[in-house]
Amino acid sequence: MTMIRRRDRRASERGTGSAEALRLVKVSRTYGSGDRAVTALDEVTFSLARGTFTAVMGPSGSGKSTLLQCAAGLDRPDSGIVVVDGTEMTGGGEAELTRFRRSRVGFVFQQYNLLDTLTVAQNTVLPLKLARRPVDRARVREILTAVGLGDRLGHRPDELSGGQRQRVAIARALVTEPSVILADEPTGALDTRSAREVLLLLQDAVRVHGRTVVMVTHDPVAASYADSVLFLADGRIAGEMRRPTADAVAERLAHLGDDALTGV
Amino acid sequence: MLALALRSVRRRPGSFAATLLSAFLGALVVMTFNSLHDTAGAPGVDAVSAETLTTAAGVVGGYGTLLVLFAVASTLTVNVRRRTAEMDLLRCSGATPAQLGRMVVGEAVAVSLAGALLAIGPAVLGGRVLLGLFQDSGQVAGSVDHSFGPVALVSGFGITLFAAAGAAFLAVRRAGRERRPGKGRARAYLTGAALLLGAASVCSTFAFTATAEALMAPAAYGSILLAVGFALLSANVLRAVLGRLPLPGPSGYLAVRLMRQRADQLSGVLMPLILFVGMATVTLHVQAVENDAIEASGVPKSVDAKNLETLNLTVVGIIVVFCCVMLVNSLYAATTYRRGEFGRQRLAGATPHQVLGVVAAESLVLTVTGVVCGTVAGLAGIIPFTVVRTDSVLPDRGPGIWLGIVAVAAAATMATSLLTARRAVSTPAVEAVAPAA
Repeated sequence: MTMIRRRDRRASERGTGSAEALRLVKVSRTYGSGDRAVTALDEVTFSLARGTFTAVMGPSGSGKSTLLQCAAGLDRPDSGIVVVDGTEMTGGGEAELTRFRRSRVGFVFQQYNLLDTLTVAQNTVLPLKLARRPVDRARVREILTAVGLGDRLGHRPDELSGGQRQRVAIARALVTEPSVILADEPTGALDTRSAREVLLLLQDAVRVHGRTVVMVTHDPVAASYADSVLFLADGRIAGEMRRPTADAVAERLAHLGDDALTGV
Repeated sequence: MLALALRSVRRRPGSFAATLLSAFLGALVVMTFNSLHDTAGAPGVDAVSAETLTTAAGVVGGYGTLLVLFAVASTLTVNVRRRTAEMDLLRCSGATPAQLGRMVVGEAVAVSLAGALLAIGPAVLGGRVLLGLFQDSGQVAGSVDHSFGPVALVSGFGITLFAAAGAAFLAVRRAGRERRPGKGRARAYLTGAALLLGAASVCSTFAFTATAEALMAPAAYGSILLAVGFALLSANVLRAVLGRLPLPGPSGYLAVRLMRQRADQLSGVLMPLILFVGMATVTLHVQAVENDAIEASGVPKSVDAKNLETLNLTVVGIIVVFCCVMLVNSLYAATTYRRGEFGRQRLAGATPHQVLGVVAAESLVLTVTGVVCGTVAGLAGIIPFTVVRTDSVLPDRGPGIWLGIVAVAAAATMATSLLTARRAVSTPAVEAVAPAA
């Protein structure tokens, strides 16, 4: 069985050939079974162009994190298609999904998920080492300097503040040069100043490095850093807003229930 | 805090299984051997029988007790360490260090008390079986009845509770303290003391005559103490060795870096491994030398001599099996609590296969270190014994016994780590890194 099906382009063109960085088609995900079944995603369909910064918002339990995990191959949809960078993710074992993910997707978590036993530099190059890809030390230093940690290469995560740890996580997500960076509440555990630094770095990843960033958040201020906002309610897309401002997003969130009734 | 301790034991009995098992086994071994003291002290036992029983209880029971002390303590240390996150949480909710200490020590005492209580019944049976063996071999008169009394109970409960409470106290104190320079001075003293006492004990073998009944004791005691000393020293050895270890591939890369950082904690896992290899090496070889010497002394190979050999090997076997179970137990505990770490490795892009590769590489390094240290500790006991008992330096048996021990140690280490890790990897990575409910 072919785990990863290449669609219409060769591997060498990956990363430049597709104008679409991420596409989800009728993706559904249900947890539990019988009466207690909870539909986290209900036939969600959308596509994101390369080089965009999108925030995904919605009330708790609206399926935001599930959406992100399905897009990253960390969770498996019950049905539907996930296409990252022109290549369809077709399931298979965890090993297949991991290989798919680590060459195309960078992930930033709310709880950082760095390895405490490794230094900043070692944590950053870990995805490269695991993929047996060559490590360009100068490039790693450059990335870590760009996130403001050029002088902390030998520190361990427990010697850093929350904001610094999240910046290491962003450096780790950038180092493999993925086409898509997915961030799940990346500022959820940070103070406003650290949060702003992290958000500016994510913006830079899009504007300077040409990556595509999808960020789940419940904070209208964080969402206002994105180019557009996708609203999610009860596992369905409940609207989109371009060039969001914090106030407009907050206003829209307050009336999300009304939108969800009509759907999109 | 004591109420909280009891509640946390009651609510999550599973997480205390490893502690319970080690307390149970420890108490079982100690009480089984020490009940021989009670039997010997009972009225109506003839002098020869009493002396045989006292010697057996004193020699094997004595170093068995020392062994239980360290084995239970190392398992407890591993178990307390895995709860750092929970203790941080309690500290954040306003628990003082003293309260935390009372909670963890309270838990350890409660669980090991339960373990020791559970061990009473089996220990009575075990003591009877042991006495039966002595009677079958003609060492003890058939009329002697087994009795289970104060010596067995006091030593069993005392050793188990002391080891559990002491290890829990030290572990929680270490967990609660910030990393500070100059720490580990106590550890250095402890290492030095263990090595010095071990060397002294091993050397004191030379003060005995060739036929002394307690000749085995100083060799075995010395080996245990040397094994403990090496285990405490192993963090430094590991760090030095890991610097130039050419482990290939991403898994090897990660294993070397993780182990160098976790070297201190690994000494807790190395303790039972080194003790197992050391104890098995010294007791099995010493027994083999003893058997050969008895045979060579010209005593006709009677049924009694055969029985005696069986008896001795059974007694030694109990000790060796205990060590092996403790090794599996603490490796299991140490690997289970790395579920979150494995999850983070997977989220960073490691396939489950690569995670298991890291664990396999670590187990390999652990096995080699444990076998080398254990063998040195064992040899230190064997050589003086062989020199005093016979005229040669090394036992003239081939390396068969030693190879068997190494095979068991390697198999136990690899199988336990890999099977436990495979189970830890079977949960989705995102769930594995979520704080335990």
